[in-house]
Amino acid sequence: MDAVATAIMNNRFNAIVEEASAAIYRTAHTTFVKLVQDYQCAIATPDGDIFAYPSQSGVNVFIGIPLKKTIETIGLENIEEGDLFITNDPFASDGLVTHLMDVTMILPIFHEGELVAFGWSFVHASDIGGAIPGSISPAFHEVLQEGVRVRPTKLFSRGVLNETVKNFFMDNSRIPEEIWGDFQAMISGLKSMSRRLGQLCDRHGSDRICQSMEDVISYGEGKAREVISTIPDGSYAFSDYLEGFEEGQLAHVSVTVTVEGDELTVDYEGTDPQLPAAYNLVSGETTHPYIVQALVSFILTMEPLTPRNAGLLRPIHSRAPRGSILNAVYPASGGARAASATRAYDVLLGCLNQALPDGLAAAGAGMAGIIVAAAPDPRTGRQRVNVINPIVGGSGGRVGRDGVDAMEVRYSALRSVPTEVLEIETSIMLRAVRLVPDSRAPGQFSGGAAISLELESTAEKALITVRSMNRFQLAPWGVRGGAHGRTGETLLNPGTERESSVGIITQLGLERGDVLRITSPSGGGFGDPLDRDLAALAADLYHGLLSRERAEADYGVVFDATGEIDAEATEARRAELRSDTPPPAFTFCAARQAQDAAWPMDLRRQLATRALAFDVATRSRMVDTLHRRQVAAGTPMSEEDLQQALNAEAQAFGVYAA
Amino acid sequence: MLRIGVDIGGTFTDFCGWRQGQSEPVATFKVPSTPPNFEDGFREGFERMLDLLEPEPGQPAYVFHGTTVSTNAIIERTGSRLAAFVTEGYKDMLELQRFGLRNPLNLFETRVKPLVDRPMVFEIAERRMREGALRTPLDPEQVRAQVRAARDAGAEAFVVALLHSYADASHEQAVAGIIREEVGPDADISLSSEIWPRPGEYERALLAVLNAFVKRRMGDYVGAVETYVAGRLPGSHLFVTRSNGGAMSSGDAVEHPVHTLLSGPASGVTAVQYLGNLIGEDNILTMDMGGTSTDISLITDGQTLTTGSAEVGDFPLVMPVTGVEAIGAGGGSIIQMDGGMLRVGPQSAGARPGPACFGRGGTRPTLTDAYLLSGYLPEALLGGEMTLDRAAAEAALAPVARELGCDVPAAAEMAVRVASSNMEAGVLPFVARYGVDPEDLTLIVYGGGGALHGPIFAREIGVKRIVVPGVPSVFCAYGGLVSEVRHDLTTSVQGRSVTADDIAGIFADLRGQASDWLDQQVDASLLEEVDYEYWSEMRYAGQSFEVDVQLSQEAVENRDLAAMQQAFHVAHEKLYSHCDPSSPTEFVHFRVRVKGRMPMPSEPRGMGTGAGEPRPQTRREIRFAGQAYPDTAVYAREDLWEGAHLSGPCVVQQRDATVLVPPGYSLECAAYDNLVISKD
Repeated sequence: MDAVATAIMNNRFNAIVEEASAAIYRTAHTTFVKLVQDYQCAIATPDGDIFAYPSQSGVNVFIGIPLKKTIETIGLENIEEGDLFITNDPFASDGLVTHLMDVTMILPIFHEGELVAFGWSFVHASDIGGAIPGSISPAFHEVLQEGVRVRPTKLFSRGVLNETVKNFFMDNSRIPEEIWGDFQAMISGLKSMSRRLGQLCDRHGSDRICQSMEDVISYGEGKAREVISTIPDGSYAFSDYLEGFEEGQLAHVSVTVTVEGDELTVDYEGTDPQLPAAYNLVSGETTHPYIVQALVSFILTMEPLTPRNAGLLRPIHSRAPRGSILNAVYPASGGARAASATRAYDVLLGCLNQALPDGLAAAGAGMAGIIVAAAPDPRTGRQRVNVINPIVGGSGGRVGRDGVDAMEVRYSALRSVPTEVLEIETSIMLRAVRLVPDSRAPGQFSGGAAISLELESTAEKALITVRSMNRFQLAPWGVRGGAHGRTGETLLNPGTERESSVGIITQLGLERGDVLRITSPSGGGFGDPLDRDLAALAADLYHGLLSRERAEADYGVVFDATGEIDAEATEARRAELRSDTPPPAFTFCAARQAQDAAWPMDLRRQLATRALAFDVATRSRMVDTLHRRQVAAGTPMSEEDLQQALNAEAQAFGVYAA
Repeated sequence: MLRIGVDIGGTFTDFCGWRQGQSEPVATFKVPSTPPNFEDGFREGFERMLDLLEPEPGQPAYVFHGTTVSTNAIIERTGSRLAAFVTEGYKDMLELQRFGLRNPLNLFETRVKPLVDRPMVFEIAERRMREGALRTPLDPEQVRAQVRAARDAGAEAFVVALLHSYADASHEQAVAGIIREEVGPDADISLSSEIWPRPGEYERALLAVLNAFVKRRMGDYVGAVETYVAGRLPGSHLFVTRSNGGAMSSGDAVEHPVHTLLSGPASGVTAVQYLGNLIGEDNILTMDMGGTSTDISLITDGQTLTTGSAEVGDFPLVMPVTGVEAIGAGGGSIIQMDGGMLRVGPQSAGARPGPACFGRGGTRPTLTDAYLLSGYLPEALLGGEMTLDRAAAEAALAPVARELGCDVPAAAEMAVRVASSNMEAGVLPFVARYGVDPEDLTLIVYGGGGALHGPIFAREIGVKRIVVPGVPSVFCAYGGLVSEVRHDLTTSVQGRSVTADDIAGIFADLRGQASDWLDQQVDASLLEEVDYEYWSEMRYAGQSFEVDVQLSQEAVENRDLAAMQQAFHVAHEKLYSHCDPSSPTEFVHFRVRVKGRMPMPSEPRGMGTGAGEPRPQTRREIRFAGQAYPDTAVYAREDLWEGAHLSGPCVVQQRDATVLVPPGYSLECAAYDNLVISKD
């Protein structure tokens, strides 16, 4: 590897993708792309390995996503100069597309007749057809409800637009002009990458450029391996639950991470079968960045200057069982698949906490809720659908650092909608946006506080939907003696006679004057609260987010007559409170403990894995039924009983083992 | 009339002086800055300037001053202890900001700490709604109790930021009245409705917070300078340059220092715009290369780039300012090996300890050391006032060269190339955001390293023409000589339907306010020209992003809606490469910019005359793109004359800058003391 050429080419490649990403953003038509930046582009080798990925705009969750499978599906022999491929099919692309809304394009880039690279781009299309505007509802139970689906197809063939394909997309969307506008933005970004790469090849020769592609990937790989080497060898397992949109429904997400030197294996064996709800995602045969996000973040946290390319993923080998929520098969629906990716992130975090000698971080709120209102426009009276705000909740406490209030780092590209703008554009009033006092989970490094949003309808009727609410049953866990966080809560008309708790909201009608208070979960604490620094506690008290009562009860604080912390007395009190036994690795809430009492991790993995042998249409239902029944019983069953119970369940559903 | 431009930086304070009646500046020079008491350096330079300008008895001066006092107070967080009054339910507004964090991939990322402590944020039980409609009236006694609590908690300055005050400021004003009653008539108060009255409560409140935070520091500094100037030349006026590329009176700057937070880089861009206008260049990439970073900006169709979303320190600054992007590459950028790759920056040795060759204790190799070892820089700088230590530079870079397996000069030149590619990675996406192709731009360089690295970098991004102005290293001070007294005013109509009559009325009102503002800044007799620009931020109905559209005053006064809409479609097409003339449009905000032009040099000085072949002062080996060029000619700038022509590779050495002409480029000594480098 040439140290200078690699550095220079890495910069040039980055300039190429940043420029293209900026061009897509600039020319995209839909508000969604403009506001949320849910789009991206990148550039890959002829083998489909991404060698440059933007960092200044667009989403970062697909760094290094492999194009290989899609290219194989197309067949190299079918690729000619001037072709442009389009697809939004998770199944045919084996996970290059993670849900139908992400319309994806691939541009083969030629130089002097030779294939030198592939351009990749996607935008989240604001409507791709299907049963509802926007195409996403967690309640959809199969992909056919979510809109049109197109396997990799030539949108351009030798430079000629295929009008049939274009019209097919446009005719099936509620906003044909806008999505075609976004497609054109993608095309201009891809062409920009192709032009710039061509210039580089003209100047330096395509051989040298292709060599540099490999070099920058190797450089990224080397950095990733360096970081992985710092993780002690061993095998680490962890489980958590994703809350479904049906009352009390829980889906098991489980992972085993094995570290050997500078390589990592991530195996999601034991994760539940895909749900008849839009939480499923396709991750394919090879390592998929969307289910190893926590590891990519860890590498980039430790080595922030690591180039963002496929090299990052080379030492990581991930796999999720086919038919599970993390690697679903047809006809799984996946519009809201971000919720499952969130839990995949959490279980990897659980493993890193075990693997790293000092631990890493407690669980955060574990949801990225998007509050949407359908209500009349205050000017025209016409019905309009607006994003009211995202709601996330506190992050977990981290080794050496408190959690972030009201936000998790992984979702922190989200921005709030200013209240004034909201109240101008919609008939929803946002009465308050508050941090919740005493919601930071105790720990040496406390969890991030919950946030509560209080909204009121100023119109006769408003319909509220919230996408991706979670952790309303099972609180975010604490680590190494840190307490668990709090679950989320939604109250209708709080503090009045009409107050009612409404739980996870899928759809909720508000009448004029109704007040809805949504309180997020809060993150778990990290480390023993009795080790929390007194100056940090004094600051917590000063800021008004910790009450004296909680300081005394959770942190062993003793106050003197003037109301200040009495350091000496506090130390004495803490000495009394400290126990000799080391704190547990994780602190789970009572509801989670009730799950674990009936379903120890290994047994619960068995349930998930064995259920995969049954018919795709019913196995999720069988798992749910058995899971609930056993939690009610309160004790685990034997493995033999498990198989019998599954068979009996299958019979009840009228199906048999596949 | 005497006009003096001053720009204070961390290392040097730059001066530019001009006497009315002469076409060109009289004097330009630098003196060392004297932190933390910057006024000492100012005095030294000012005395020297007066010696050169030789004012007649009683002749006043107009001093245009650029300062980073306010900016530093934000970055160092050394401002006043603040109390903020906000609408009930929004106590955590300053804490939560816009929810997001900077880097979603850093597991240890934290949110920026606000400038007001949470217990110092006091909730006022009041509420207005869209268009300022009253929902909950203010309760003066509740306000009074909160004000007393703030005062008792030690607040030194007060911020009032209530919901929807952009539409109706009466609640904010009522709270201010009660503060004055309780704290005293001189209480230091900043209202969110006063600075930039737009919807967006956090950003608007933040402007008031930033203003209140730095006010005292700004007042102390500007007061000291003003007293001194008035004592030396009675009747003089002090102006302070501001982030929108113009200037304001010192009195207004002390009241509203928030307008000065990004003035430094803006002033340089204003100077480029002036120069571009003079030499007929309408589309320019500006490049100001300093020790730690390189600031770039764009001029398109002769207009500077105005953005509504800049940043100061850790905070967003949402008001119209000249758009400047900082790229992490400067003369102090550190060169190192990193896992088999040669890296230049983002770490910087800054001014202290600085590059190894500066002999100030720096031992790590920097880009400046690489310039020296590549033969670009001479060993004596600033006319011999500063010598560069070649041996120290070699020693610092030797380990990198060893790892690269080449000699030290070769390694140095490689580092320069890597730095160029860093800049490329920053510049290309920047210009792409504005839909501009770098090949259509002329590069105008200034700052310490601009004339040296600019021409190298231009080659990489396809820029064909580079202009090095006569006084590149004091260009921001020069901006003080040519900047206008300038202010922006706004009215927001977001969510309202407006008629052409409404629009005409709004602009007439804003123009009236702008004219009043100008009257308070400067005596009308001193203004040569007053100009008003009418702007609207518009969008297609239902969109949530706006496009800045300049409206002709004629269209506004003639109530010609179609012309205004047409201007929007054209602007949309230019920025986004598409538009839809059949779609309905919305007016969201209106803006008036007033520009008062005071006497300024009509043209910068030219070069001397001469004929024949310029003679090099010396020759030395330089390295370029992996190749050595022995005996490359080095010319002294003072030995060149207008019309002289040089072929690359060569170096032009002047007192405050080194100009590099790469192979394949040639240099022409053009009018107004500009050096123009073009691709052969």
